Parts: sequence; structure tokens; C-alpha cells
Amino acid sequence: MENINDYIIHPRQIADKSSKESLQKAIKLALDVETDAVRFNTQTFNTNRYKAVKKLNDYEELKDRARQIKEDSIQNLPALIVKLSHSIKARGGIVFIAGSKKEATDYIKNVCISHNAKLIVKAKSITSEEIELNYEMEKVGIEIAETDLAEFILQVSKEQPSHNVAPAIHRSRESISELFKRNFRTDKRLDTGEELTEFARDILRQKFLSADIGISGANLIAADEGTILLVESEGNIRLTTQLPTVHIAVAGVEKIIPSKKDFGIFIELLATSGTGQSLTSYTNILEPPIDLPVLNLNGRQGKQREFHLVLIDNGRMKMREDDDLREALYCIRCSACMNVCANFQAVGGHAFGGEVYTGGIGGAWTVGTTGSLEKGRFAELCTGCSRCVPNCPVRIDIPRLNTTIKNRLIKADGGPSFQKSFFGNFSTIGKYASIIPVLSNWVSNFAISRKLMEKIIGFDKRRSIPQFAKKTLVKQYEKYRKSTIVKSKTNILTRRVVLFADVFTNYNNPQVGMAAIRVFDKLGVPITLSKVLDDGRALQSQGLVELARNKALKLAAYLEQLIDSGKEVIVVEPSVLSLFRYDYKKLINNDKLFYKLAKHTYDPIEYINKLLIHLEVDLTNKLNIPNPSSTYIFYHAHCQMKTVGAGNAASDFYRSLGFNVSVSNVECCGMAGSFGYKKEYYELSKNVGSDLINQIRKSNSFDNKTIILASGISCREQIEDELNNPIYHPIEYLEKILK
Amino acid sequence: MQSKRDEDLIKQFIESAKSAAAFVELIPSNAESLNNSLIAATGNEMILLAEPDDLDPELFSIFKLNKNVVTEPTKEQISNIKTGITDAFCAIANTGSVCVSVTKNLSSPASMLTRQHIVIIDVNTIVQKPRDVFSDSYLEGKGLKRSFSIITGPSATADMGPLVRGVHGPGKLHIIILD
Ligand code: SF4
Ligand code: SF4
Repeated sequence: MENINDYIIHPRQIADKSSKESLQKAIKLALDVETDAVRFNTQTFNTNRYKAVKKLNDYEELKDRARQIKEDSIQNLPALIVKLSHSIKARGGIVFIAGSKKEATDYIKNVCISHNAKLIVKAKSITSEEIELNYEMEKVGIEIAETDLAEFILQVSKEQPSHNVAPAIHRSRESISELFKRNFRTDKRLDTGEELTEFARDILRQKFLSADIGISGANLIAADEGTILLVESEGNIRLTTQLPTVHIAVAGVEKIIPSKKDFGIFIELLATSGTGQSLTSYTNILEPPIDLPVLNLNGRQGKQREFHLVLIDNGRMKMREDDDLREALYCIRCSACMNVCANFQAVGGHAFGGEVYTGGIGGAWTVGTTGSLEKGRFAELCTGCSRCVPNCPVRIDIPRLNTTIKNRLIKADGGPSFQKSFFGNFSTIGKYASIIPVLSNWVSNFAISRKLMEKIIGFDKRRSIPQFAKKTLVKQYEKYRKSTIVKSKTNILTRRVVLFADVFTNYNNPQVGMAAIRVFDKLGVPITLSKVLDDGRALQSQGLVELARNKALKLAAYLEQLIDSGKEVIVVEPSVLSLFRYDYKKLINNDKLFYKLAKHTYDPIEYINKLLIHLEVDLTNKLNIPNPSSTYIFYHAHCQMKTVGAGNAASDFYRSLGFNVSVSNVECCGMAGSFGYKKEYYELSKNVGSDLINQIRKSNSFDNKTIILASGISCREQIEDELNNPIYHPIEYLEKILK
Repeated sequence: MQSKRDEDLIKQFIESAKSAAAFVELIPSNAESLNNSLIAATGNEMILLAEPDDLDPELFSIFKLNKNVVTEPTKEQISNIKTGITDAFCAIANTGSVCVSVTKNLSSPASMLTRQHIVIIDVNTIVQKPRDVFSDSYLEGKGLKRSFSIITGPSATADMGPLVRGVHGPGKLHIIILD
């Protein structure tokens, strides 16, 4: 891997993602020199978070409460600001409400000048980066020392943060050693974490002892008592807020909650969701000005402690009025959505982020606080895999925020690009292609047309194109039904089963649909096939929300009829299943209908698991494989399927049959629908995919006979690109092994 | 409702504190035992003893006579002393944390500027989870009435690559539970 300290582009140059080119360059930079450190660190946080939240026995309830408190707080924000101002003033503090960046920095500058301050120590504060505080202070000759070690590194390297909790997450120990050696003339050894830490600590300790003012952020502020919550590990926040006589806290208005009594809930969620610790080293609960006597360690005399709270609007009140972006204000900046995100794990916040805010949640924040839609362009890196959703402690629908940004960008650009229309309307293309599949497959694989496709649609020519089947699922099913009549063996079942013929399965993958039909027939469960209707998934992921909604409404009405007539709906394609069980809540905006769909739609194996328990059937003696334990299966659960709670169905099922099953723990295969087909994201998608491929290769007794099971069509494509193993949808494999 | 001595809570607290890399001991609650433990835990260097915010000052009566103990430090001493001793008004079983007050006493400097922080708690002040600290029903609502830091293990960072203990705050946290 090349060296970040010598790389041809400096991350600052591509921090602003207004242009598509800077996004492209940023992805390249990240893949060239940052990916190893980012992946290692985010995945460590991610694994630790899963472990830590398991120990919170009321995790789901805690999230509900946190969400409710944030919703109410934003709703009542104007009143809370007034209340908070009173509480702080009553204790002798000063509150300033800044409408804009400039108002905020002007105020802080004036406080510093009035104290004749020369040196300021600062604790990590993303909000202070948002208002470009350091830059403004340096302009008037006041030194600001960043005291969080990650921020200290960034101050030396002049880079923007790449993560909201660990802002130097893109740097390895080696690259920091080299950076420090180049920047500080020193004969001290700087080759271990300890040496580097001690070196920085010594420099910063001198700053702490001589600083005039300390500036901190705030994780939360309680309006009732004017209490500030500040969470940290290093101890620099304690020193920043308690050593200097003057303390200035800078915080966005959205940080206010009504009551200090609720701090406990957020404290428990923050550390677990962030670094995956039960608590970080220091959780500070401060009611400044604090009682601790003035220490005057810098030799300056006297005076009383002074406290300023600078509350910042800078676009937040407008976000509050925006029905789509409001949700972003609930964010408590824990970083879970970054650590869990497969794309973020590959590139970090220098590509998947802007000048200040990073990751899936960063798009909405960038747009909201800069007022520039274009700067939020990195929202394109959100594939909508949804893995962040169940891991966000305040249940923010992050993919939805990004869909909104994509949608607004399309409108601002004057309509969808050819590429977006192509990928969003694949179903229609499928319809025509299926009339003459041989011809269209031939055309689509012809070298010249591949080049054209790449040029015009941006379909990467290194990817194989999804093939159109010679006979659609509907045709195959009709023919099959004419010749096969199955008697229902089960009359215990009150509900009948219908297989939903989604567009991809119908035109591209009918064999998976047919496998489901045959398995249910073999089990004696009557099954029929639905009409083919577009579900809106492809449109939604391109940001074409209105078109997606139209399709969704039609389909939901149709499915409702099926369900009302007593049917359970089987869905073989997980990205479609998750629409019915998650996305449609907002897309069709009809809770009653949504919950009906969510309740009556199933992954085939999930349904069979249920059925077997219900019917007390044992399949082990119905297999045509004599000794399943000598068959090795590697199973990769589709990202969205995990989110809607069906991720373990297939692994549980095959294990219960006695197979030897290994399971991937990557969050997403990187293909994510059409994402990996796009020329501009090919390398990123392959990088994400390599994580999965490596896991498969390293799995228990892996060889070229290992059976790979993946329910997502795009996951299977990503894997097929690299491995020659037999790859099936779990229901397809079941059909093969069932007598 | 004051929390009462609860074997299970004590056990949980000790385990969690240890897994957060703190050193923990449980000793009888009297001045002599405390003196013995503190002497064993400190070297022959100066020690900053912050006046306790909640514990009975009598408990420190013997240790206080130690010639290395400073209770009213000069500026010079505050910025150089390597060991600080404070009390904590509460401990948390699930997380192994101790709650150290920010008051007019010197608990703050003794626990943030030093390299080793020795913290003393009463066995009856252990609560189950962080939420309990912010409730009227525990410890007479003490946690709602003051500024404090919930301290969980030593100061640490992973910003330089590997995990390093002892950054801006103490690299060693020693918890003494008085029973
Ligand atoms: S939906 Fe997936 S890609 Fe988008 S931010 Fe969340 S985890 Fe990342
Ligand atoms: S959006 Fe949710 S998961 Fe992401 S940083 Fe904010 S609170 Fe954490």
C-alpha cells in the first residue's frame, strides 16, 4: 500500500464533495492509502459493539426511550432553549445563541480577546469544526491546541476527520510515527503506541498548564439543571473543562434534552454503540461554572471561574422544519452507523464524508449545516443495505435520509441521468429483453456493446451482465402446473401459500422461483404464483422516490388482496422481502397495510422452519444426501435480510439438518443491487467484496466443493465473480437435496 | 432507598472493574486497614490526598500523618504530584465505574493530573447500572445534585494505533472498597 504522507492528493483537497470528480478522487485516495487502517479499526468497533449491546438486557427498550426523548426534544426545542438559558444563567453562566458560524466564532473570539488569551486548549468537538473555529482563531493570532490525540494528529497532518468518534481512524501507527518524525525535530523514539502517546502527552501537558481558556463540545445538555454531558477516554476533556479559569462549551441546539435524569439512558447507549465499551474511561457530568477553586497553574492571577455556553443553530432550525431531514437531528454521534457500514469500512470518512460530517448520517448533516445539497453528494455511497438501521441507538432511518438527498440531487440536476433511469427501470428493460432473450444476451455480452454500455449507462464492463432467462418464471410455472398436480398432504394449514414473482426472479432468475415451487410441492404445501409486479426497490435505490412510491402502492394493494384471501406470501429475493418488512412503512405511508404485509411475508426457508415446527415434521430422513455432516456449507446472509430478522433462517435450517455450516460476518457483500455494476463504484464494490471472499476462503475445511449459499442475487454475483464453487439460493439447494 | 450491602453487587463490581483494567481490593472499613493499604499502594513519593467529599475524614486520620502526604498543595505540587487519592460517592456494578465529585475539594486535580489514582468507596454505595446514578431512589439522589466524573478504568487511547493506557489522565486506577 502506498504511503498516506506522500500521496499525490491531500485529503483536504477532496473534502468538499460538490463535484462528482472529487468523490471519485476521494474513493481512489481512500482505497489506495487508507482502507487497511479504516477497515481494521471500524471492524473492531463493530465487533465490540455487538458484544457490548448484548449485555444491555433492555437494549431495544432503551433505544425506544432514547428515540422518544430526542423526538420530543426537537419538537419542543424553542421552549427547551429558553429553559436551558435560565438554568445556566441562574448558576452564573452565560449563554449565547449563534444563528450562524460567524456569529459563533465572533462571540468566542471576543471572549478570548476580553481575557487577553493567547493559548486555548480544546477538547474534541465536531461542532467546532463545523464553525471552523481553529481557522478563525488563528487568523487573530490566538493559538488553539487540539488535545484529543486523534485531533492532535489531524492538526499536525492538516487533515479533516475521517470518523466522528475516532477522527484519525484512517491512520496506522506507522503512518503516525512517520508524520511525527517529519514534523517534530526530536531524538525521542516514536515507534510504539506508548512512545507516540507519551510524546504527545508531554507537549499537551505543557499547553494544559499554561492555557488561558478551555473549549469543549457537549454530548448532551439537560435543560432542567443546565448540566453538560461529556464522554471521553483520554482525560483531556476533564483537563480542558477544569484547569483553565474560563470554560467555553460549543454545542448545536439539537443537543438539548429536557432532563438530567435521562442522562443515564444515553450514557449506556453511547459507549456501547460507539466503541463497544460498557462505558468509556470518563463520563463527565458538569454543571459549570464548577465549584473547584481556580487553580491558576499558568501563573496568571485570581479571578473567578467563568462559563460560556455557545448554542449553535447554523441550519439546524431549518432541518427541524424539514420533514425528511429532521430525523438527522436525533443523532447522538455514536458512530455505530459508520462502523457497521461495509462501504464505510472500506473507505472511511474521507470518501464517505464531507468536510466535517462522515458516514451514512453525514450526508444529511452536511446538507443541513452548509445549506449546499451538492456537498452531500457522498450520500451516493449509501447503498441502502440498511445494516445501520437496527444498530442506531436512536433508530434513525439513515438509508432513507440518503435516498432523500439522492432524490433532491436528481431534481437539482434537472432529472435523472441515463444511468439512474437504466438501473431504476430494470424491470421494464427486463420485460422487453425477455421477448428476445437470446438476442439481448448476445448484444449485452458483445464487446462493442459492453464498451458502449459502460460509456452510456456507466455499467462497468468488467462485470458480467445479469442474464435474461430464456423462459420467465411465469412461463415455466404455467408449463409445470399443467403437468404436475400435487395433492395437499396437510390440512392443518389454514393459510395457503403464494410465491411472489418479483421482477428479478421472473426475468433473470426463474430457477430460484421454480425451486421454491417444487420444494413446497414436495412438502405437500399448496403453492401458487403471483402476478409479476414491480416493487420499486431499484427506483428507490437510485433516489427516484416518487416513481418508487407509485409502484409500491400498486403492489401493496395487490398483496393485500392475496393476504385477505387467506394467503401467506413467500419472497425469494431478500431485497424485496425487506421492502415489505421495512421500507414500505415509509414508502406507502399506511401503517395498517404495512404491518399486514410485514406479518404475512416470508423468506422461503424462514417459512419452512416455522412449518416444520408447526407440523412436527423431521426432514432429516427425506434427504438424498446420506451423510450431511460431511458436506461443508458456507452461508452469507443478505444485508437487508439480517435487518428484517431473517438472517439466520437458512443457517439454522441447514445446521438442524446436520450440515457443517460456516457463516459470514461481513455486513454486506458490496454489490448491493446495482451499486457494484456502476463503473464509478466498481473498485469500491470489489474491495468490500474481498472481505467476504477472504472469509469464505478461510472458512472451515474450505475447498472447491464447499457449497456456498446466499439468498441475494447480487451477493451470488459478487461471489461468482471470484470463486468457482457451487453457489445456490438456500431454497435452490434444498430442492436439490430433498427426495 | 439507600442501597445495602449486597454480595452479588460487590462481586459484579469487582469483576467489571478488573475487566476495565482497574486494580481492586476489598478491606475492612477502619483507619488502620486503610492506612495499610494506602501505604502498600504508594511509593516513597509525594501523594496528593483530596479531602473526602462523602466518606468520614476520620478514616484517613492515620494515613494523613504520613510525611509524604500533601493536602494543601502548592501550584508546583499540583502539577507534579504523581499519585492522587480521592473518595467516590458511588460505584456501578455493571460497568466497574466509580463516581468522583467535582467540588471545592481537590478530588478533580488528584484524579486527573496524576499518573496513579487511588479511589476509595464505601461498599454500601454500589448501584447496579449507570441509570441508577441519575435516580432519586438511589443514594438520596446525590448523583443529581453535583458535578462529577464517572471513571471506568484508567485513561486510555487507541488513537496512536494500539491501545495505550495512561494518556492525559492516570494510567493506573486503584479502587479500595471499604467494607
Ligand atoms: S444503509 Fe448501509 S450503506 Fe447506507 S449508511 Fe447504512 S450501513 Fe451504510
Ligand atoms: S445516526 Fe445513529 S448510529 Fe449514526 S452516529 Fe448518529 S446516533 Fe449513532
